[in-house]
Amino acid sequence: MSDRSESDRLQRESWLQSTIRRPEIGAFIVMIVIIVALLFASNGKAFNALGLKNNIKIISQFGIIALGAAMLMIAGEFDLSIGSMIGFAGMAMAMMLKWGLPFGLGAATPFTAFAVTLVMTLALGWFIGWVVVKSGLSSFIVTLAFLFFLRGVTEVSYRLINQSTQISGLPDFKEESWFANIIGGEVFGWFYNAWFALGKWVEGMGIDRTEQWFLLGGNLNRRGEQWVEGFDARFFWFILIAVVAWFVLSKTRMGNWIYATGDNKEAARANGVPVNSVKIGLFMFTAFCATMFAACQVFDTNTSDAAKGNLMELFAIAIAVVGGTLMTGGFGSMLGVVFGAITVGLVSNAVFFIPEIDGAWFRVFLGAILLAAVFANERIRKRITGGI
Amino acid sequence: MAEPYMRVENIVKKFGPFIALNGVNLEVYPGEVHALLGDNGAGKSTLIKTLAGVHAPTSGQIYIEGQPANFRSPRDASNAGIGTVYQDLALNQLMSVTRNFFMGREITNAFGSMKMDEMDKIAHEEMLKIGIDFSDPTQAVGTMSGGQRQTLAIARAIHFGARVLILDEPTSALGQKQQMEVLKTIKRVRARGDIGIIFITHNEIHSKLVADRFTFLALGQVIGEGTKAELEGQDIRRLMAGGADIGQLEKEFAEL
Ligand SMILES: Nc1ncnc2c1ncn2[C@@H]1O[C@H](COP(=O)(O)OP(=O)(O)OP(=O)(O)O)[C@@H](O)[C@H]1O
Ligand SMILES: [Mg+2]
Repeated sequence: MSDRSESDRLQRESWLQSTIRRPEIGAFIVMIVIIVALLFASNGKAFNALGLKNNIKIISQFGIIALGAAMLMIAGEFDLSIGSMIGFAGMAMAMMLKWGLPFGLGAATPFTAFAVTLVMTLALGWFIGWVVVKSGLSSFIVTLAFLFFLRGVTEVSYRLINQSTQISGLPDFKEESWFANIIGGEVFGWFYNAWFALGKWVEGMGIDRTEQWFLLGGNLNRRGEQWVEGFDARFFWFILIAVVAWFVLSKTRMGNWIYATGDNKEAARANGVPVNSVKIGLFMFTAFCATMFAACQVFDTNTSDAAKGNLMELFAIAIAVVGGTLMTGGFGSMLGVVFGAITVGLVSNAVFFIPEIDGAWFRVFLGAILLAAVFANERIRKRITGGI
Repeated sequence: MAEPYMRVENIVKKFGPFIALNGVNLEVYPGEVHALLGDNGAGKSTLIKTLAGVHAPTSGQIYIEGQPANFRSPRDASNAGIGTVYQDLALNQLMSVTRNFFMGREITNAFGSMKMDEMDKIAHEEMLKIGIDFSDPTQAVGTMSGGQRQTLAIARAIHFGARVLILDEPTSALGQKQQMEVLKTIKRVRARGDIGIIFITHNEIHSKLVADRFTFLALGQVIGEGTKAELEGQDIRRLMAGGADIGQLEKEFAEL
């Protein structure tokens, strides 16, 4: 009998080895490649003051809904109603801001419009989850039903109450409402102030502003003053939701329950995990993410229309998969989803910085990396489950 | 003689018109291994599912430490100290050893975040106690061997207060060496002295190796039972086959 024990069979991995085995590594490498490629192809314009702001805007939009979709996918379910939920939430908020609160409760403030909308969308999320859990039907088909249902309700409501499927020309609520401002205004102004000051300082050193494509490029108005004042507030919400989602998933009991629910529902249930509540809670979370997406849009632009959020559910799922989330549930990482959102966001926006290319290439690219990611994820799953 | 921790009296379980269990008695003593034997379809799994709170018995009574107990859910049974390790083990392949160990019963601090270090340590220690030194608690269960998974499920049941450990065919899907590992694990748990084990198997040799007490089921009824000493000299194999005569089978073979 040898005195080798089980623990001797495990080699200690170096930091590098364990890093390249991380599930996010694929998404990370693709992201770096895209950033570098875009940097060169756009002559840096994609990352100057204005370019960065625009890119972060779209990345945050994708990110907010992809985080919700990924959480739900890890628990083993899909939500195809995200896009219609965005449309519905945007409609509800804009309509209340224009026509007042329902049941004659008077004029709406940005906060009350948001709060009433959130109550409705969370209730819808709860109901969708409840139907999925109680019926035992595939969430694919149940949420597909809500994709049509909610989009239809949105359009019908617009026509009945507003006579038109869009609302524009709302007052700019950001001016007087702090609430509208933290949702639709700008954040991290200090970042751009410092950036601009640095550019000015370099200019003072004798380097002309036309040479400064990076420090001052895209950041001067006609009078030579600072133009970009900060990131869109959705950047803040994206970071906040990402940090909370990461914490919950990897550090808390709830996270363990989410993984357990998506991996093997029966095993989780046998150990006392409330799998139904976990699922319903996550359907409410995707509804919340959709509502935040819509709120940022409404308060940023002071407009809304019936087509808002169209196809967003599919982008959210695609980004979750590109970020390493398994289609079959039980596995995924919020960090990977953030990388996925950055990648997809940058590519979808690339046409603005490289006008020569046809914007449709974005979809070609998305299809290609989606397929690649599915194969990569499947390999990771096989490695973890020992090949079955 | 010591008090049995669990006593089962006249359990009847009907599935519609089908009588799966027809008045079964069983006693489980702390520190003993009780082998539950019987042919396919004899009703072994049905019996333990009744004990584990999955099925409610049609009639009959379960006593825990002399007190009548009625289990309305697996939760009730587990709170009463009945830890069941099912054939499929109720483990999640993609999750780590520690996350599986504490699934549904995580240790958290006041903010609801898990104390991962403490949980890693407990999982490691509990598994070490019954036989495997598992160095990496972050390893996914999917990559563990069948015997290791079995050990994990047993260690988990014990850690969360099982006084009766029910093992449904724990050796059936394993290779020779791993079967022996599981038997050793059973022996180690037995040596603690405070836990009674119900061990279901189709393997005569395994049951003789570890069991102190035997119950033979056939067609939903007990056809023989007793301690190892009492059964000495009796034909365990005949009882395991539900009373069929092996000699008869040999004759039939000869005719073929
Ligand atoms: N839910 C059920 N509904 C109807 N009949 C059932 C049900 N569960 C078990 N049975 C029947 O009860 C009988 C006993 O089954 P059980 O699973 O307890 O056998 P077993 O002794 O565990 O057999 P094996 O050794 O093959 O595991 C079988 O005839 C089975 O078909
Ligand atoms: Mg069985």
